[in-house]
Amino acid sequence: MTNTSHEVVKGPHHSGDAAPIALSAHSITKRFPGVLANDSVDFDVRAGEVHTLLGENGAGKSTLAAMLCGLYQPDSGYMLRNGEPISLSSPRAGLQHGIAMVHQHFRLVERFTVAENVVLGSRNLSFTLNRKSIDDKVAAVAESYGLPIDPQAIVGDLSVGQRQRVEIVKALYQGAEILLLDEPTAVLVPAEVEKLFENVHAMTAAGKSIVFISHKLGEVVEISDRVTVLRGGRVTGHVSGRGTTDTKELARLMVGRDINLSTQRASHPTGHEVLQIRELSLESEGVNLLSNISFNVHEGEMVGIAGVAGNGQRELADTIAGLLSPTSGSISIGGAMATDRGPIAARELGLAYVPEDRLGMGLVPSMSILDNLLLTRDRRIIVDRASVRPEATRLIEQFEIKANDADHIARKLSGGNAQKVLLARELSGGRAATKLLVVCSPTRGLDVGAIETVRRLLDDARSAGQAILLISEDLDEIMSLADRILVLYRGAIVHETRGEAAQLATVGAAMAGLNTEGAA
Amino acid sequence: MRAPFRIIFEQRSETPRYLSGFVPLVSVLAALLAGAIFLMATGYSVSETYSNMLQDGFFSSRGLTDTLGLSTVLICMGISAAFAFQMNLYNIGGEGQGYLGMIGGAWAGLALGPHLPSVVMIPALLLIGAAAGAAWIFIPAFVRARLGTSEIVTTLLLTYIGASLVNHFIYTPNSYFRAPDVVFPMGRTVADSAKLTAIGSTRMYPTFFLVVVLAVFLYWVVKRTEFGYRIQVIADSPRAAQYAGMNARRTTMQVMLISGALAGFGGATLIVGEFGKLDPGITMLGYGYAGIVIAALARNNFAAIIVSGILFSGLRVGGDKLQITTDTPIHIGVMLQGAILLFALGGEAFRRYKIRAVRMQAVTQ
Amino acid sequence: MNENIWILTSANAVTIATTLILAALGALFTERSGVLNLGVEGILLTSAISSFLAADSTGSIWIGLVVGTVVGSLLSSIHATLTVILRANQIVSGLALVIFGTGLANFLGKPAEGRTVTTIIEPIRLGPLSDIPVIGPILFTQDIITFGTIAFAVACAWFLFRTRPGLELRATGDDPATVDAQGLSVSGIRIRYTMFGGALIGLGGSWHMLAQSAAWHQAATTNGIGWIALALVVFAGWHPVRLIFGAILFGFCLRLPFTLQAEQITFIPSAFMQMLPYLATLIALIALSRPGSKNLRGAPKALGNPFVRDER
Repeated sequence: MTNTSHEVVKGPHHSGDAAPIALSAHSITKRFPGVLANDSVDFDVRAGEVHTLLGENGAGKSTLAAMLCGLYQPDSGYMLRNGEPISLSSPRAGLQHGIAMVHQHFRLVERFTVAENVVLGSRNLSFTLNRKSIDDKVAAVAESYGLPIDPQAIVGDLSVGQRQRVEIVKALYQGAEILLLDEPTAVLVPAEVEKLFENVHAMTAAGKSIVFISHKLGEVVEISDRVTVLRGGRVTGHVSGRGTTDTKELARLMVGRDINLSTQRASHPTGHEVLQIRELSLESEGVNLLSNISFNVHEGEMVGIAGVAGNGQRELADTIAGLLSPTSGSISIGGAMATDRGPIAARELGLAYVPEDRLGMGLVPSMSILDNLLLTRDRRIIVDRASVRPEATRLIEQFEIKANDADHIARKLSGGNAQKVLLARELSGGRAATKLLVVCSPTRGLDVGAIETVRRLLDDARSAGQAILLISEDLDEIMSLADRILVLYRGAIVHETRGEAAQLATVGAAMAGLNTEGAA
Repeated sequence: MRAPFRIIFEQRSETPRYLSGFVPLVSVLAALLAGAIFLMATGYSVSETYSNMLQDGFFSSRGLTDTLGLSTVLICMGISAAFAFQMNLYNIGGEGQGYLGMIGGAWAGLALGPHLPSVVMIPALLLIGAAAGAAWIFIPAFVRARLGTSEIVTTLLLTYIGASLVNHFIYTPNSYFRAPDVVFPMGRTVADSAKLTAIGSTRMYPTFFLVVVLAVFLYWVVKRTEFGYRIQVIADSPRAAQYAGMNARRTTMQVMLISGALAGFGGATLIVGEFGKLDPGITMLGYGYAGIVIAALARNNFAAIIVSGILFSGLRVGGDKLQITTDTPIHIGVMLQGAILLFALGGEAFRRYKIRAVRMQAVTQ
Repeated sequence: MNENIWILTSANAVTIATTLILAALGALFTERSGVLNLGVEGILLTSAISSFLAADSTGSIWIGLVVGTVVGSLLSSIHATLTVILRANQIVSGLALVIFGTGLANFLGKPAEGRTVTTIIEPIRLGPLSDIPVIGPILFTQDIITFGTIAFAVACAWFLFRTRPGLELRATGDDPATVDAQGLSVSGIRIRYTMFGGALIGLGGSWHMLAQSAAWHQAATTNGIGWIALALVVFAGWHPVRLIFGAILFGFCLRLPFTLQAEQITFIPSAFMQMLPYLATLIALIALSRPGSKNLRGAPKALGNPFVRDER
């Protein structure tokens, strides 16, 4: 029970025209095994306003939201809806009180149509389904909030932005008065974010309450009427008044100290070409996943690949790492051909690869740190763990990995520590000294401290002369780290720019496929 | 309507060591208790049934050696099932692969036996049996590795086909495997050089020790070798295996073929041991199915399989003798096997989770 | 060749298909909710002997059918408890049920060994339709359960694809997290349909015993049709109507050996004829998993996975 002081920043008062409080939560505490996710948290939202829950990953935002909508139950504390006490035993109970959540990972059945998804679980659905009338009703609700969707489309065929719209329509169809949007912009390109914000304004204008959950300061300031900041499961501050907020102050409340995620670029001229990709194409079941990609990465250079998820990033990384066979084109690492020779040959040429999927691809969750270090090395017929143990212990120390010992199971590591184990293994080389590092979304889901460490490790590797290909959906990260930026859209490079010259608007537009100026 | 309690499952971060032995033990006791209630309900004597079973299965020198004798094939079937389970492959056709091991072994004993000395013949027979078992799983293994066809139903269907094959070899007149000059259809006994002598006056054969060594060897393979490491990675995360350049298809084939070979080996031990011939009675015994239960109860730990194999063997031996000693149907033995596994599965939840009931959060103000 | 024997075989194929359809429908409903119940064979056997004993002691086939159905539902409730509530491995639990069910059935069946029921379910003749040559006796002279089962399978398709509970059931098998977020109880739905599926399997087993099998003869009574039923679900792409055609096809394979024996066609050894249904099932399963096969697309995506909400 330390650090109990609430830092409260008062903004301009709105008390004169304040709408009634639609939902409030008081002294909410929620414990998970080993974690105090929410510690005596207070929160409320008024009708017609956007109240943001701000906090970094693991601060307890999503847990609080899950309790507000009935998905989890608090260990203690209580909630009021329009001043009346409520107890939400399930999301259904939440819906009955007009509270709905739009999850970060969409809760949609991909095989169903839009309309089927919208009506699923609806209480006033008749026993037999009349498709025509359902389609019409769903379309009507969607149009009334300016959210055009085709009720007959199969959700699996829709883009991420469209799916989010389906989620929102679903909540509105079920009569939601309070919508909780969990990290809604994480998966959207800038243009889609603008569209989402328009929809949010349309909903608040209609008297709906929006609980906006985010860790991105810029957009929080833009959209919020009020902001509540969470850190380590506790409320560290309240800020109110749109556009009047200082992002520096919010960042300090969120992290608890000043953070340094400043721009870092190569400090010295780059050297030889380490990775050369020529006219690389990949086709699967008649779909072009990668088309005619050519670029180089030099010694001591970091090249960033920007793009919205699902535009070929994973395929590009997997192809370079030898996990996928390209349909045509060539890859060379350190001057030697690596095309279609498999992952082990690529590693023998000096490739290291940190995949996006840390646990499950980069690391084997049920295995120890020691065994995970062996994953990309030569293991002989009888595995000699004893000779690797000293190195494992040294790496744990060097990379400041929080683990009991080398036998610590990977699954039990925090996200940041798992990423450090992965980086430790990949940077320390296995079958050959690392010349080329391919990293995918290296900081996704990490807290700020870990993000700083990971960025520093990547920068150190670059300074040490390694060539780095950084593939990330986090545009800010690419903008502040990469020496060169390539934008991947539908499997093709549609834009190329130098890191220091990059314009957010231009890169964002290229990511959305809106312009193809400056195509490589 | 809302229940006043919610059942909460908390994932244990660390499983207390005592639970690993405790859960199987309690499962066995719970199954015996359930069996007792069932026996009472159906009007059989509980004390008579159980005391006879235990007496004839464990607590008499005759019973104990019979138990160890039968455990040879059961442990073999257990490690066969467990080896595939290690990689999340469900070979439930160990039964049928066992039949083929018996067919292969009987063929070797009949065809080669007269020409080879014991010291060559016995190993050759066991290996030919193992090869026949592996051959019987080849198609399921191949289509699983290549096309992803679930091995569960394919291995099982082949058991039925294997049973028909055994019957064919015995019931067809003039079959190579059928004893000539006997009206009653039965198998032809293999050459003497293809048979081991039982230890003393028991029904235990030296193959028992061989199988125990095999189980320990497999334990070492899984824990200490590159092959075992690969199996663990592929079982846990196929994507990580691909990332590390492992060939999951080839490993799938290898693991399934070894699993089939172990089951075939188990069938062949019956030729060099107790049976000495191809016997259609094998299709009624369900040793392969028992192997699945044994592996599951031992949670695929090869050392623990030796223990659970002997335990189940005792239940079988004791159960089978009920026919002579009481009027309780012998099937109580198989029933108890199933019940033990069901309880062990339920108990597994207590090993993995802390389960507690909490009162629903009331509104407090 | 005796034409009548082939007509009889086909009629018998439709009859045996009834057991297959009921068992496969039971498996289908269970699987559509995301639960794989491999225990079909054990449930069939236990229900068969329970219905036999009930019918034998009461003299009423109908009571027998009801008892067998209830027993099927009870046995699958064990599976539901273990896999849905206690999150046990569905495959191992199903296999345990097969072993337990086989032991239980043989235990209960010991006094009934070799005996037959005295009354049978009379076939219904659908008026003049039954008099149509060849197809009359095959399709229109069956008992009420057979007619009812085929109609029921069609109704099941309607239920799955055209009703609200059907929508919720399919969603549960595909994406339980979504169903949970909608405030529906994933566990409730899964338990309900596992038990309903078990009831159908139980009805199938009882009917198999009371309307078809001459005598109770241990595991030979069902002889692996539980496993064929499971394969049939894959064969039908998890669609109830396609199940009917697959079941008749497999039913024919199951009857063929007897017919050939009766016809004294002996150039194929009888043991190989007995393999036919299993071999046909095996080949069908392999053919269905070739790349690009459409059938597997019907597979519920979350089949076999326990659903856990609070895991973090």
